Amino acid sequence: MRIRRVALAVFAAGLVVIMTGAAGLLLTRHGSAARHPAPAGVGAMPAPGGPIVAPPQSAEPRPVARPVSLSVPLIGVHTRLITLALTRDGSLQVPATTSVAGWFAGGPRPGAIGSAVIAGHIDSYRGPGVFFRLDELRPGNRIYVRRSDRTTVMFRVTAVHRYLKDHFPTQTVYGATPDAELRLITCGGAFDDATGHYLSNVVVYATEAN
Amino acid sequence: MKFPGTARRIAVLLAASALMAGPAEITASASASTRHTGWIRMAHLSPDTPAMDVYLYSFGDASARIVLRHIAYGTVSIYEAVTAGDYSLAMRPAGASPGSQPVLSGSVMIKSGRAYTAAAVGPRTALRLEVIGDDLTTPPGKALVRVVQASLKHWAVTVRWDGKTVASKLPFASATSYRPVSPGTEKVSASAGTGDATSTITLAAGTIHTLVVLDGARGLEIANLEDAAGSGHDPSGGAQTGYGGTAPHGPGSPVPWLVVIGAGALLATTGGLSLRRSRLGRRLHSGT
Repeated sequence: MRIRRVALAVFAAGLVVIMTGAAGLLLTRHGSAARHPAPAGVGAMPAPGGPIVAPPQSAEPRPVARPVSLSVPLIGVHTRLITLALTRDGSLQVPATTSVAGWFAGGPRPGAIGSAVIAGHIDSYRGPGVFFRLDELRPGNRIYVRRSDRTTVMFRVTAVHRYLKDHFPTQTVYGATPDAELRLITCGGAFDDATGHYLSNVVVYATEAN
Repeated sequence: MKFPGTARRIAVLLAASALMAGPAEITASASASTRHTGWIRMAHLSPDTPAMDVYLYSFGDASARIVLRHIAYGTVSIYEAVTAGDYSLAMRPAGASPGSQPVLSGSVMIKSGRAYTAAAVGPRTALRLEVIGDDLTTPPGKALVRVVQASLKHWAVTVRWDGKTVASKLPFASATSYRPVSPGTEKVSASAGTGDATSTITLAAGTIHTLVVLDGARGLEIANLEDAAGSGHDPSGGAQTGYGGTAPHGPGSPVPWLVVIGAGALLATTGGLSLRRSRLGRRLHSGT
């Protein structure tokens, strides 16, 4: 009979839908784990020893060309640098794409006196960004910044810190310094699904190696 | 006024030389960004004193931490990052044995996160070591500038930047405090009646400068030292540099799946009930 056949089909369809729902429920009960960076291929390099003989300072501040690219061989970073400004609310602008890093043009240039700032994303919605492995850096590691006059300045990492964004030490990170320093900034720590932002920043501190 | 602020006049400590053997192994430069680090630079600002070698020792350690060779009048070293603590300084004639008696020596306490300038000042006959504190913060959008007067030929010098007086009749071997100025590229002048000097300098927002007035070959000279630099306006707070694609995520909401199961149950019930009804109907029909 036709009614009977239809009823049977509806009943079977109902069972299939229940099983689909149950399977979906079971399969999504586990959160996705964090992706972990691959281990670094090279160990941390120690800071050089021996006597330090500082060159006298030239009378006038030395002019330094605009930075164009950044290399951190230990963590596989090689990126061109875009320029960043401040956003309307006064925070640091970040690159629109996650595959390039940006230099904060409101501050000193890398290699000039002062604390130059470069920011990059740890990830996109889908996968790793340009600074995905930034927190692997350790004191002594090398960072290179190439400038528009084809000169390259080398920095050595002095410290790596992670700060909650709610307690970000603005003065320590962005404040004036009397020597040529560099800050690499990305995100880290826990991710807040509600706001779509990480709760912490990772900051790599480096000074020019002369 | 002599060197103001955190200025400390330091007695000449000839006895200290007994402690000082030759420079031996030196530890690596300290981190400039970790908490326990400060900065120091050395300057020779005595016009009639010949070039010197400058030694910096960790207090009580006979091996020199930093040695600067042949520092002549008008030379200011770059800043060296060192671990915060007590240090002693010794200046010897250029090329003199590291174990020889210093011409000038003294001590300095370097605090974490602070910068200092240690300078040999005064005429050769009354040479002394001055240590002054250097500022590391500027008011937003401003530059800081101070003047150090190291001209022996002119005992009082007036310095103007952009038409504004930043040092008025400043005596030899003294310094002004830092003062905030509007940033820009402007004319700077040093005048003392004769041998006046002018030049054009840039004081960018967020930078800190020391203008040193020196005796040049032809009258006064102005050396523009950049003490420190930051940005005119620091970014506020952290940076939003991630979208979470590699972050751990919590389980999603179970509600959509529960709705699916509910819909399935409804379908199955409807189907089941119709099935039952049709069977019942058939049984009734066959029973008559």
